[in-house]
Parts: sequence; structure tokens; C-alpha cells
Amino acid sequence: MALLQISEPGQSSAPHQHRLSAGIDLGTTNSLVSTVRSGKAETLPDEYGNVLLPSIVYMGNELRLVGQEAQKFQAEDPLNTLSSIKRLMGRGIKDLSQLGNVLPYEFVRDENQIVPRIKTAIGEISAVEVSARILEKLALRAEKTLGGKLEGVVITVPAYFDDAQRQATRDAATLAGLNVYRLLNEPTAAAVAYGLDQQHDGVIAVYDLGGGTFDISILRLNKGIFEVLATGGDSALGGDDIDHAVGEWILEHAHFEQIDAVLSRRVLIAARAAKEALTTQNTTELSVNYADQTWQGSLTIEQFNLIAEPIIKKTLTPCRRVLRDANIDIDQIAQVVMVGGSTRVLLVPQMVEGFFKRKPMTDLDPDQVVAIGAAIQADVLSGNKPDSEMLLLDVLPLSLGIETMGGLSEKIISRNTPIPAAKAQEFTTFKNGQTSMSVHVIQGERELVSDCRSLARFELCGFPPMVAGAARIRVTYQVDADGLMTVSAEELTSGVTANIVVKPSYGLTDTEIESMLRASMDFAQEDIDLRMLKEQQVEAKRVIEALDAALASDGPSLLDEFEINEVLLHRNELEQQIESTTTDGLKKLIKAVEVASESYVAKRMNSSVVKALAGKKIDEVNF
Amino acid sequence: MKILDFSQSYFDLFEQPLRFEIDLKQIHENQQNLQTKFHPDRFVNASAEEKRLSVQQASWVNEAYQTLVNPVKRAHYMLEVSGQDMKNESETTSDVAFLMEQIALREQMEEVRDKQEPLEECDILVKHLKLRSKEMSDDFTSTFELGDFETAKLVSRKMQFVQRLSDQVMDLQFQLEDENS
Repeated sequence: MALLQISEPGQSSAPHQHRLSAGIDLGTTNSLVSTVRSGKAETLPDEYGNVLLPSIVYMGNELRLVGQEAQKFQAEDPLNTLSSIKRLMGRGIKDLSQLGNVLPYEFVRDENQIVPRIKTAIGEISAVEVSARILEKLALRAEKTLGGKLEGVVITVPAYFDDAQRQATRDAATLAGLNVYRLLNEPTAAAVAYGLDQQHDGVIAVYDLGGGTFDISILRLNKGIFEVLATGGDSALGGDDIDHAVGEWILEHAHFEQIDAVLSRRVLIAARAAKEALTTQNTTELSVNYADQTWQGSLTIEQFNLIAEPIIKKTLTPCRRVLRDANIDIDQIAQVVMVGGSTRVLLVPQMVEGFFKRKPMTDLDPDQVVAIGAAIQADVLSGNKPDSEMLLLDVLPLSLGIETMGGLSEKIISRNTPIPAAKAQEFTTFKNGQTSMSVHVIQGERELVSDCRSLARFELCGFPPMVAGAARIRVTYQVDADGLMTVSAEELTSGVTANIVVKPSYGLTDTEIESMLRASMDFAQEDIDLRMLKEQQVEAKRVIEALDAALASDGPSLLDEFEINEVLLHRNELEQQIESTTTDGLKKLIKAVEVASESYVAKRMNSSVVKALAGKKIDEVNF
Repeated sequence: MKILDFSQSYFDLFEQPLRFEIDLKQIHENQQNLQTKFHPDRFVNASAEEKRLSVQQASWVNEAYQTLVNPVKRAHYMLEVSGQDMKNESETTSDVAFLMEQIALREQMEEVRDKQEPLEECDILVKHLKLRSKEMSDDFTSTFELGDFETAKLVSRKMQFVQRLSDQVMDLQFQLEDENS
């Protein structure tokens, strides 16, 4: 149907080579997808106009639902409705106890498994797979809107995410079949959205309080370059904690006799509703109903602030530390930017203003600003803007180190080092004939290895046997622009490259990812079929639009009534069946429209040539 | 893609003279220019080989920058590129007077918490250490420029001591501020 789109003479008819890209904010509570169209970044809504996709997957009743559809089951079937899963990303079974009662799910108890798997009515699932389903849904939304396949995406992560959490996010994208241009830190993304908006140079602080994570970053903006000076936060602190505190307040007042998972979930839903209500009013009514137990009460903003204050106060210590790390005084900060849905809680901007002595900026929607920044970065990285001066220089959020004698940590690359970064270290053997050694890589600031996050154990083997102390093994630690680490090793006297056997402490091994990919093939075929249908529907709509536009402009002047009716007959049939027929059915109908309008297309061609030549002398016409 | 000459010194990379006193502003500007050329974000659609090279080069530029802007690392590096063996450089000093001073300062730091105004005590310590570090920088500059590398090495070790103590005092100051708030 390309011929119907012939452009006006003098204009280029070559299709604009634009790579489709998107920015995805994979949040604890909600996720979003955003893209740059006609130079403007916008968040994409679903067919009902919702831009927020609840980060919830429902796995029950032989259904697998994502988003709003899954959320509906939260109150009645909490054990099979997976929410706040981001808190489990890159976490091991041993970490579950630290997460406390935040997640009500039943986990598979298997000694051999490192990555926790949740039991649901329709099978076991890991956090990475849940996240993959959310990413797929968002990518499909973007592809439907843009009418084509995404070449690449930028996915945002909390700046304070460690290596395992970042790797888990990348694994989720792999499972979702997405090409990830970059993992982008959420506060940096927000700074991009604001920075490009305001065109200000100077130092800014980004305060990002989400559902389950808190980040604070200090950046310097200079002519399109965003340089992160320092970043800090708490990857297990967020608005969810306020919900739980309010929930506990409800339980204290309600004196329920028996508390099970369903009641707990209802209490939490009531708590969240109260928190949200108190962003616009001074008092709110709460009620919890379950079986024969009911409770009603009211919460004032003053009471609520007392409950929320200790949680918000916890964010100020990282703020202080990050200023110190950046070597910046509070009065050097030109702007404070608020990000994350939890900054809507009125006490948050109040306390932030008290700390930074400056009114924080809230011009952009705190829910959308991260996705918008990610979309801008994705557009630049896709190569659509070769002249863009924008460059993001980020840092490593948590120090990387190795375990030394006595369970102590030795820092290899310290936190807030600009990335990418590399560091080499030399080891020697301490036994005659030793041909292997193991290195335990950790992440964190504490002295004791047991207080840091274990990232991986590397077994270096295959170097030639020598007397003790003669071998010189150089281990190189490389952190890439995503903040992800790789390790390589070489024995220098022999030049032998040591093999590295990686045992990720909490991540998935390549084999596990592979088997998950295979397991999701069944779903994938369905997804591919669905995607092809959606693409064909988009194509059909495009054909109808193009035809309508053409008919409106020159239909009556080029065609007689009979010809017009003939074209319209096929056009209307296509329109009627757009939602009901199959991919192949649509292809046939589109073809029929094309055949029916062949002569019209030819007439249009002739007429536009005539127009192009009209009023021009023969020597001005270039054939 | 342009390939960096990894054999050049960090000072050459940033087009700066081999001197202890540096033009921070210029170095920062050059750092951003270099990253604009080599950062992996510029090679997202490039070949795997180019991507790998970009990560290596951008890492090296960052390492160079971090070395130049940190006085202790800078001094150490200047001696290294001047042909001094810094691999087996010990982290001790035999300057008794200096050691006594360090011990006294350390004790002063440990007693801060028992003082009436611990934050002010911290401030006094920080100011004193800044002064000492300035004196040592001057010492290093003059001995290095005279080509007296042995003395410069001794000074660079002392700089390390002072730097470490300053970091610890600042950690303490941070903890105190946090407890007070």
C-alpha cells in the first residue's frame, strides 16, 4: 500500500530511518513505558488510558494476568497475586527473612536453590520471571502504539541497586526478549528529564522515594553532560514501609481475632488508600471487612505524620552521606528534584525542604519523570540524534571488594568511582605446585565480609604449577556502564589465561536462564502470534487512514461514484473485521483493498506529476 | 574509532605538565571531552569489539582522572612515571617526630566523643589536618622539582598518613552529625 503514501513532489519519499526505542521504569509498585516521538518524550497509556501498569502478576485459576487485571485479584487471592516483586530481585533465599512479613508468598523450600521461587496455583515462578512478564507487557504496549518492533530499550534501576539486583534486571529483559541499550539509574533518568526541560547548568540533588527503594544522587550539569558526583540510598526503604506502619496502626486499633494472609492484605490495601487520601485531605475514614470481622476508624494527617515521620527520617542519613561524598555543601545545591510516587506524601517534601533549605521541584509528574528520562536516553543511544551532546557519566553505587584472610573485606573499586572502571590486582600462590585459587567478590562498605553482599565466587584454575610465591596471577575487575562487573584472570609469568568458574551468589546461572527461556517458549509462541496479529491490525488501520486521507483530498476529482464505491466496499469490510479476524484474514483483506484501489493509485501518481510540472518551464524539470 | 595510546602518561592524556599543582578546572573539562569520545554510550550500535574497546578506554580515562585529582594518588603516580619503584613502596615511615605527631592526633580524635562539643573538636582537627596537608603538598612540589625523589617518596608516605587520618576524622564527624539530627 506504499503507493498511496506518495509524498508531495519535492519532498523526500524515502522513509525516515528512525529506530524505535523506549524507556522502561520497572517499579516496585507501578511500571511505565515512555518513548520519544517527534522530538518529545511521552509516557504511553494502555487502551484504557492508564499510563501506570501495576507491577503485579496474577498466577491463579489457570490465568496469567499482568497489571490492572492482576490487581483485581489482590484482595481475594493474595497468595497468587504477586506484587512488590522488585524487592526480591537479586536476592537469595537467605535474604527472605530480612524482608520480614513484607511479602506474604509461599516460597519453595529447596536447599539446592539459590534464587527463591514462589509457589502459585499455576506453578513456581522467580522474581526475574515475574519482572519479565511486566517488561513484556510494557514492550507490547509500546510496539502497538509505535506500530513496529522496538530496537532497544533503556531500563531504569534504583541507583543503589547492587550488582546482583542489576544482573537480575538484565536477566528479566533477556527473558522478555528485549535488547537492553543500557541500565540507567533512576535519579539520573529523572535529572535528564528535568535537566533538558530546564536548561540549567549547576549542581542538583535528586531525591527519589519509590514504593520500595530510596535513592539520593548529586549531579553536576554542564552543557548537556550529566555527571553524577555521588549516589546513595537504601534499596529496601520506600512508601510500602509507610503502608506497613499504617497497617500496624490499624491492627493495633482493630483488635482482630484471627489474622490470615487475606486479612493482612486487606489491612494493607486500606492503609495505602488512607495514605493516598491524606495527600489531598486532612482526615480520612478507613474500613476493613473480612468474613465476620469488620473495623472502621479515622486517621488524621497529624496522626499519620507521626506514623510516617520515622520512616521518612531514615532517608536523611543517606542525604547527608551523599553530600559529604560529593564534597558539596548544602548551599551549593541549585535545585532539589522530587521523584517517585511516595514523594506525594505531604510530609516528604516538607522534610526534604527542611533538610536542603530549598523548596523541592515537583513540576514533572513524580511517577513519570524516570520513564521520560529513560526514553530520552534510549532515543539518544539508538542513534536517532547523532548531534546530541547529551552524555551521562554515572558512578558505582557500592564498593566492590574481595574477601581476605579472616573474613575481612578489601576494597578493589570504591563507591562513587566513575564507571566504566577497571582495576587489576596481583596474587601469588602460597603452596608449591598450587594450580588454582578462589576469589570471593563482595559488594558493600562494611569491614566484615559477612556484612557485605556476596556477589560471586571465582575459581581460578589451570595455571602451571610453580614454587610457592613464583606465580603472578593478575585478576582484572571490570565494571561496565551498566554498573555490572566481570572478572578475568591471567598468570603473568607463563601467560596462561586462567579459567574462571563463576558461581553467582544470588543470580541465575546461564543454564537456569536458558531453561527458563525454553519453559517460556509455549507462552512465547502465543505472544508471537498475538504480536503478529497486533502488527497486522496496526497495518490495517494505517491503510484505512491513508485511504481516507487520499479520498478526502482528491477522491471525487479523480474517481467516479462507481469507482469510489468499489474502493469503499473493500475498505469497510477491512474495517469491520479488524478486531475479529486472524492475522492471515487481515492480510487478505488488506490485499483486497490494495487491488481495488490500484487504478486510483495510478491516477494519483499521474495527477501529482502533472501538479509538479504545472507552472514550471521545461528546463526546470529534472528527470 | 580512535584508539588511545595506553603507553602515554595520565598527564599527557590530559595534556598537562608533570607537576603536582594542577589546573583542576582544565582537567575536568578534558575529562568530559575524552568521555564524550570514548564512553560506551557512544558505541551502543557498534560491533562487539568496538564496544569492548570503548569500555576499556573509558575505564582508563576514568582511572587517569581519579589519579590526577587525588593528591595522594597523584604524588604516588608522579614518582612512578619518574621511574621510581613504587610497587614495593612500604607504608611506614621512620620519621619519629612525624609519627609522634600522628599518634597524638589520633588520640585527640579518639577522645572527641568525650568532649563537651565534639563537633567543634572535629572541626579543629579537620582544619589542622588541612593545614598539614597543604604544607606537605608544598614539600612534595619542591622536592620533586629538585629531582630529589627519595625525599619526595618520604613526603608522599606522610601525605598518605595525613589523608587516612583526615578521612577517619571526617567519618567521625559524619557519624556525630547523624546522631545529633
